[in-house]
Amino acid sequence: MSNENDIFLSVRGLSVVYTSGKKIVHAVNGVSFEMKKGETLGLVGETGAGKTTIAKAILRILPHPPAKVLGGEVMLEGKDLMGVPEKEMLKIRGEKVAMIFQDPMTALNPLMTIGDQIIEGLKLHNDYGEVEAAQKAKELLEMVGIHADRFKEYPFEFSGGMKQRVVIAMALACEPELLLADEPTTALDVTIQAQVLDLINKLKEKYGISMILITHNLGVVAQTCDYVAVIYAGKIIEYGSKRDIFINYAHPYTHGLFASLPSFSIDALRLKPITGSMPDPTQLPPGCAFHPRCPFVIEECRNGEISLMEISQGHFCRCCNIQPKG
Amino acid sequence: MPPLIEIKNLSKYFQVPAGMLHAVENVSFTIEKGKTLGVVGESGCGKSTLGRTMIRLQEATAGHILLDGEDITHVSGKKLKEVRKKVQIVFQDPYSSLNPRLRIDDTIQEPLKNSGDYSRSQLKEKASSLMDLVGIDTRLRQSYPHELDGGRRQRVGIARALAVNPEFIVCDEPVSSLDVSIQAQVLNLLMDLQDQMGVTYMFVTHDLSVVRHISNNICVMYLGEVVEMSPSKELFSNSLHPYTKALLSAIPSIDIDQPMQPVQLKGELTSPINPKPGCRFFPRCPYARGGCSEQPQQLEEVSPQHYVACCRVHEINS
Repeated sequence: MSNENDIFLSVRGLSVVYTSGKKIVHAVNGVSFEMKKGETLGLVGETGAGKTTIAKAILRILPHPPAKVLGGEVMLEGKDLMGVPEKEMLKIRGEKVAMIFQDPMTALNPLMTIGDQIIEGLKLHNDYGEVEAAQKAKELLEMVGIHADRFKEYPFEFSGGMKQRVVIAMALACEPELLLADEPTTALDVTIQAQVLDLINKLKEKYGISMILITHNLGVVAQTCDYVAVIYAGKIIEYGSKRDIFINYAHPYTHGLFASLPSFSIDALRLKPITGSMPDPTQLPPGCAFHPRCPFVIEECRNGEISLMEISQGHFCRCCNIQPKG
Repeated sequence: MPPLIEIKNLSKYFQVPAGMLHAVENVSFTIEKGKTLGVVGESGCGKSTLGRTMIRLQEATAGHILLDGEDITHVSGKKLKEVRKKVQIVFQDPYSSLNPRLRIDDTIQEPLKNSGDYSRSQLKEKASSLMDLVGIDTRLRQSYPHELDGGRRQRVGIARALAVNPEFIVCDEPVSSLDVSIQAQVLNLLMDLQDQMGVTYMFVTHDLSVVRHISNNICVMYLGEVVEMSPSKELFSNSLHPYTKALLSAIPSIDIDQPMQPVQLKGELTSPINPKPGCRFFPRCPYARGGCSEQPQQLEEVSPQHYVACCRVHEINS
C-alpha cells in the first residue's frame, strides 16, 4: 500500500440504503477506495450499480430520507467528512469538492442567466463584489470556450454541449481540489463529447485536480482515467490500474462487459452478452451478487461474503473462482 | 426484383416561427430485402424524422417512398392500413412508448386485433408465440410496463412491432437507453429475428460501434442531408467525407494504448432553419474553403457503392 501521507481521499466501508415503504434498497454495500492527489479514478458499472450514490454520499447531498448512510468514513486530507458539521460542509462543497451532474438540461436553473448562476457560487465562497464576481465569471466562461458576450443569456439559448460546459465552469469556479464528474458526457454527441473530454483533461492537468469519473462508457474511461473501480450491485468487484482492468481483467462481470461491446476491429457475428439482468436491489442474492448471471458459478459463490483479494500488486478482484485468461 | 424500400429525393420540412426547418433534405437510397441499412448522425441531423417519414408517420414534403416497387408516399384509407401491416417501428424510449395502463400481453395483442386477421383464441396464441420469440418470461406477461426493466420493455416493443409480420422495421435508437450487457442481448435478438424471418431493418442510431455491428450499409447524415453512404466495412476502413472522418475519430477507443486524436471540429451544429444553399458542414469543416459555401453538394459515386457529397473529396483523400 502507498504511503499514508500521499492519500488525498480515502473512502472506507461506505454503505448507503434507500427506504421505500417497507422495502430497503441496498444501494452501496461497503465501498472502500483511496486516491492520491491529481489522480483520476473511474467508477464503472451499469444503471443502478450505486455509482452516483457513492459520489453524492461523499458530498453529503443524498436526500434523507429516503437515503441513509449506514456507515463508513470519507477522509479528505485526513478529515472525516461524515463527521463535519453542516456549516463547514457548505464551505467544503464547491471549494474543496465540486460535482458535475449528468444532465446539463436539468442541472441549470432555467430562470437565471448563466452569468448569475456562476456568480452565485463565486459570491458564496469568496468576498467578491459584484464587478469582481462578474469579471471572474466571464473568465470562467472563456476558459470553457464560451464567449463572454453570452454571459447574460439563459440556459435555453445554449445547446447541450455548451450547457455542459457552463456546468463545468460552475464546478471549477472555486478551484476545487476534487471533482466528482457524474456521466459528464453521456447526454452529448460524440464530436461534442470529444471536445468536453479534451477540456476536462486539460483543466485537470493545469490545476492538478483529482477526479472521480462516473460513467458506463468504457471508451471514456480508457481515455481519461488512471485507476478503475468496477461496481456491481453496490460493491467494488474489481479494482486496479487502467491496464489491470482493460488488459488483465479477472472478474467474470468485467469480462462480460467487454464481451458485450461491439468491436470496430473484429467481425463478430454475435455479441456474447451477460445473460439475465441486474438483481433486485431490495433482495440481493446471498454470496456474490453476480452469481445468478455468472457462467463460472460454483457452490462457494452462493453463500457467505466474498472478499476482495489482491491478485497482483494493486489489482483487486472479488471472485472465488477466477478463470485463467484466454 | 426491385429493392424492398426505395426512397427518391425525400424531403421533410417543418414550418417553425423562425422560418422553414429543413429536417430531411433530398435523401435517396434503396434497401434490399433482408438487409440492414444503418443511419448515423448526431442529434438533430434528421435521422429519426427520416425514419418516421418513410413509414408514413409524417407526411413527406417532397419526394417518393416505394415499398416493393409501389409508391406509398400518398396512399390513404384502406390502402394505408395495408401499408401499416408491412412497415413497423421500434421506438427509442421503452419507457414512454408503452401504454402504462396496458398489460404486456394486451400491448402485444393490440396490433393483432387491429389487423382483423385473428380470432379471439388465435390472438392469445399468436401473442404468446411472439413473447416466446423475443424472450419474455411467462411470469411477466400479465405485468404492467413499470414492473419491467428497460431491456425487457424494449423486447415488448420489438414483439409489438413484429406482431403483424412486417417486411420492414425502422429501429429508432432501440438500444441507446440500455446498459451495455442488455444492449448486446437486444442486438443479438434483432439479428436472430432477421435470420429467421428475413425482415429488413433501417437502424437509426448515433452509436457508431452498434451500427457497424448490425448494418450491411451505412448512411451518414448531417443537418438533414446524406453526406456519405457505403457498405459498412468500407465506411469504417475508408471514410472519405470530412464529417465522417471527424465522427469516427471522436469515438473514445477502449484500446488504452491508442490515445484518442479527434479531429477538432469548430463549434456545433448550425441551424437547419432556412439553410444556405452550399455545404451544410462548411462552418465546421477543417477543409472548408470559399467555394464550398456556394454550391450545393451532390452525392457522387467515388468508388463502387461508395457515395460522398463533398466537392473536395478527391483533393483531401489523395
